[in-house]
Formats: sequence, structure tokens, C-alpha cells
Amino acid sequence: MKAIILGAGHIGCGLAGQLLRASGYQVVFITHTPVLADHFNRVGCYQVHLVNGSEARKIVVDGICAVSADDLDRVAAEIAAADLIVTSVGAGNLSAAAELIASGLSLRSRPANILAFENLPLAGARLREHVAQHVPQNFPLADYGFSTALVSRAVTQRLGDPALDEPLTFIGDPPDAFVVDRLSLRQPLPSIEGMILSDDFDAWVCRKLYIFSAGHATCAYLGYLKGYHYIHAAILDPEIRAAVLAAMAEGQRGLSACYGAEIAGDESDLEELVARFENSALNDPIARVGRDPWRKLSADDRLIGAAHLAEEAGVHPEHLALAAAAAFYFDDPADPSSADLQYEVKFFGVASALNRICKLDSSQGLGCRVANAWRQFANGWHRGNVLLKLDRMIWACCFQPENGARRTEIVPQSNDYQSLFLAKTVY
Amino acid sequence: MKIGMFMMRYPPSRKSPIMPEVVRLLVEWGVTVDPIYPDEQLTDLAHIHVEHDLYVLKSGADLALSLAGALHAAGAQIVNPYPVAAIMRDKIIATRVLQAARLPVPSTYVTNHLEELAPLLDEGPLVIKPYRGSQGRGVHVVWDSDELNNVRANQDLIFAQRYYKPEDRDLKIYCIGGQVYGVKRVWPAQTYEEKLGEPFVVTPELHQIALRCGQAFGIEVYGLDVIVNDGKFYVVDISSFPGFKGVPDAALRLADYIYSVGQRVISGQPLLPAFEKERFV
Repeated sequence: MKAIILGAGHIGCGLAGQLLRASGYQVVFITHTPVLADHFNRVGCYQVHLVNGSEARKIVVDGICAVSADDLDRVAAEIAAADLIVTSVGAGNLSAAAELIASGLSLRSRPANILAFENLPLAGARLREHVAQHVPQNFPLADYGFSTALVSRAVTQRLGDPALDEPLTFIGDPPDAFVVDRLSLRQPLPSIEGMILSDDFDAWVCRKLYIFSAGHATCAYLGYLKGYHYIHAAILDPEIRAAVLAAMAEGQRGLSACYGAEIAGDESDLEELVARFENSALNDPIARVGRDPWRKLSADDRLIGAAHLAEEAGVHPEHLALAAAAAFYFDDPADPSSADLQYEVKFFGVASALNRICKLDSSQGLGCRVANAWRQFANGWHRGNVLLKLDRMIWACCFQPENGARRTEIVPQSNDYQSLFLAKTVY
Repeated sequence: MKIGMFMMRYPPSRKSPIMPEVVRLLVEWGVTVDPIYPDEQLTDLAHIHVEHDLYVLKSGADLALSLAGALHAAGAQIVNPYPVAAIMRDKIIATRVLQAARLPVPSTYVTNHLEELAPLLDEGPLVIKPYRGSQGRGVHVVWDSDELNNVRANQDLIFAQRYYKPEDRDLKIYCIGGQVYGVKRVWPAQTYEEKLGEPFVVTPELHQIALRCGQAFGIEVYGLDVIVNDGKFYVVDISSFPGFKGVPDAALRLADYIYSVGQRVISGQPLLPAFEKERFV
């Protein structure tokens, strides 16, 4: 059996490649990075290092080769000969990947399944749409299966230099499981280690997005405001830990009401997720997890989507709203999405940004909650300033508020630590 | 990641929980931390080699500083870098660096003869400090020339600054990687609780002064002593890698910072970001 993986990045190598090899597939990577293709063909293997707080497992993934994405004929031939096609190219590159896939599908004599290991819930459906644009109208695309592969594992690092002959190492956490949509696939279904075939795929998507991803994002955005560099450090801050658990619990209650308690899980599941955030071996920077806040603030994404679901269940999503408000302050010069977000807020105001990005009305309901939390942060926010106390919005330094927010006067009252920070808001 | 940490062991009576907690966190995060106590061991200089990805120079003792200098010469990456730590141990150089950066420091004088300070007392009191001192030891405030005889200078070199009576408690400003924290503290602080002081919210002016001090020296981990007199701030001392007592979540913040610097170093990036403006060291 042969599997083609388009994309030789973290998830492509650190999860898909490893599991496919373990399931008996010969694996061929398609990559746009010539030095990486040369490396894999020269060395023939890489390592996956799975680590958590207490254990580490090193897996050698051998029997691999690679083809440069520029070699279009060879790519088409490999796709035509494959038993399974996998993408792991990043959500923004699906269209380009679809063009390559279509060129190979046109040469095939039989249908196949295509799994999109992308951090995008509708990746399978999107990929089908993109491929449809590149195949003849009478092509039997309906005979092909397209599904998102919803992964649990985080693969955060690649160590090693592809210019050298030492195998590269991908660092990730242990979970092997990934969920695919049975109803979107075609017979014969692939058999892959770790694969869960679900008839209720939307529920699994919501579970990952509105619990795990919501908690991860909450940790990143509050951690950013409190001045931490790494997720494993931020989650040790008691205030952040409590907020992350509370935000995930809000999402979980919404999920439970919508899909049932079995999908939503319980408190112990949340503690397990927090333990994954503590995994320092992943070396996960807050800048990576918080990246692309514009997308992560969109109406159906991890924070706002989870908050909507919670509201539908009668839960007040205070912590999800707080995390969303914090996301509006995420300002990483290396992240164009955060720059666009800052520009949007600065020049059009938070109400406009809430409406445009989150599809929320800042004068009512969830929009009002997020806007109020945003205004509280605005009292102390300044690039480089550090939020010391989340519960009382105490900042290390006081600056004139930006973005037209209310101004706060810091009025030391006594020798008492708490009242030393007593803040009086003036209008 | 391997970190060598130059530390100083304090007597059990002196409560100092922050650095042990920093070490514990780093170890929990998978870092190999080797505490180094130069004052407690015989060191063969021929055996000094760079064995760690990063060194942390927490101890201010002379021997630790010299060994850090030897490692610096051998190419070690050190927080804070040896040249800056050495300069900050010498108040004469440190003060001049601050002056050159146009930071607000009191008028400062150095001499080998105490009596030469007498004419300066006509314009107001002076504070005389050991030029390599720390933690307020050996500090005298002198109001008139008669008092100069009472100053027991332990060394020939006299370091004196115009004394401005603080209007409030001393302001300790701590900086970690561009983050600025304020703690108010009585002087001299005797008990652990007094050393913890009280956090206060730093004003924009003080924030700016604190960051400019770091830029002047080209470092990210340091502390300032600031007094307020007649509404003006004066930086009266600066120290490399102070104790950070009173900073909320100090150990977690320091561990996070040291870890991030270690990651920078092992990925081949510079130890510190570029300080483009106002660097005088």
C-alpha cells in the first residue's frame, strides 16, 4: 500500500507519516522544500519524539521518500498510484494542494480517499471544492472520499538540519487518535493506526474546537497579557489556570447540551487537557498558539463559537468572553493577522471589529460581554505592560489608555496590598 | 538545555525562596540546571570550560564574577553578560553610564580624600557609599563637615552623591525582559516582610526611565533604586540580577524568561535582542 502526503511539516511528518508507516503504508512526501526532499531521499527516515511530563517515546519512521512539488509529472504519477492521499499543507495552502491532487486524480483508474490533516474543521469539504475546480466537469469526483482528519496531537518542533545527514526529529505529545468523517469517505475505508471513524463528525469537531482549542487560546491570550513566553509557564499561573478551566467548562456545558455528555466529557477530561498544556517538552510559545487572532476570533471559531454554544445552553460565557477580549490585544509583530487586527481596532474601534470579525453586536448579549471585558483591559493595556492581577485588572504600569478607552486613575489608598492598587475609573 | 547557575548560599535565617523556585521550575520543564557555588569549592582554573548552553550570574560575589569573566572569555553565554555585570558592581562606572544616557542621577563625586567633600556640603547633604557595595551596607548620610570624621571608609576611594531626602519609601524597580515592576520598600529593609515591600503601579515616566537604564547597559534583567524628591525621580543605584522580592509571581516570570533566553541561545539566536538606541556599554 502506498500513501502520498502532501506537505512534510510538523503534522505531516510528526503524526500522519508516523501512523501511516505503522499501519504498513509506504509513504511518499510531496514537498515544496527541495532541501527537505533531498534529505528524506538521502537519509530515508526521521524520528518522532513523543513526550509528556513523565514519559518519552522515540519512534523511527523509516521507509520514506519524497518528491519535489515542482516535479509535476512525478507528483501526478505518485498520486495516480497511491492507495491513500493525505494533505498536511496548512489551511491557506489547500487550493494549491488541490491543483496537484487534481492532476494525479485525472490519471487514476480507481477512486481513492483523501484525508486532510489540517487545522480547519471543514478542510475535507473545502479540498473537495478546490479539486473540483481543477478536474473536468464529467470527472467522477463523487466517487472519491474527502474528510478532515481531526487530530489531537500537537507537534511543535522540528529539530535538525535537512542539509545534513542526521535524521530530523519531530517533537510532539503522545495522543495518536485522530477522527475522520465516515460518511464523507468511500469504500474501501483505509485502516490506519489511531483512526476513529465517526458518524457524528461535527460533534467531534466542536469537541476539539470548543474545549481544547478554546482552552489553548485562553491560555495564550491571557498569558500574553500577563507577560509569559510559553504555554507551559502561563498555565502555572493560578489565575490563568483557573480561567482556562472555566472557559473550557463553559464550552463543555454548551457541547453537552447540544451533543450529549458522552461527547462533551467531564471535569477530569478538562484536567487532562490542562496537563497537556503543562507539557514543557512541547516547548510551545504563546506566540505560536495565539497566532492568527483574526481567524481565531471569527464567529464559529474556538472562542466565539464556543460562547454561542454555551449561551444556547443557558450558560453565561464570562471566561470565553474574557479570552476573546484578550485576543483583541494580541500584538505580535511577526504575525500579519495580529497586525491587521490591531489596525482594525485602532482605526475603526472595537465595536466595528466585533461586528466585522465576530459578527457580534457590541451593545447586547455576547458582544456586550466581550466589549466590556475589552474596555477593562484597555484601562491598562500598553505594549510591554504586564497584567499582574486578572481578577482586579491590575497592571504593572499605568499608561494613558489607547484606542479611546476609558481612563483609569490609580489611587494608592493604604499599605494594604489589595487597596494599594485600587483603581478608580473616570470617564 | 543545560544551564549553569552561579548562586550564593544564604544562612537559613535569611529567607530567599525565589531562586530555588526558579531552579525547581526549570528542572520541571526539562532543563538540566547545575547550581554553581564558587565560594564553597576549590576551582582549578585550568578546568574552566564552557559546559552549559547558558549561564545565569545570580551571585554578586567577587569570585563568581571572576569565574563568569573567565567563562565569558571562553565564549560562554551569560545572563547578565559578564562585562555589564562587572560594570554594575562598580558604582563609579555604572553612574557614569547612567549620566551619559541622560538618566536622572544625583550629582556624583569621587575622591581619595574625605575632606575634599567638605565644600560640597555647603550646598546640601551627601550620601557616601562603598563604590563596590550593595544592599545598603556602609551607606552614610552626611549633613556637615564634622560628620565626615565619623564616616568609616573601608577603602581609600570615596563615592558620594548629592542626598535627596525621599518623600516616600524607596522605590525598587525590577526589570525582566522588558517588563517593569515596582515595589515600595522601607530603607533599610530588615525583615523579610520589609524586603517584600509592596507592589505599586509604575508611572509612564518611571517606566521609561527603567527601560532606558536597561538600554544604556544592554541588559534585560536588572533592578533600580529610585527616590522621589520634589516630584523628581533620581536613580540612586542599579544592580544586575537583583533578588526580585515583592514582584508578583517573580519565580515563574524569571524561570519563563531564562527558559526563553536558553531557547534563543540553543537555536543560534543572539543572547539578547539588539539594543539600538542609547547603549553606552
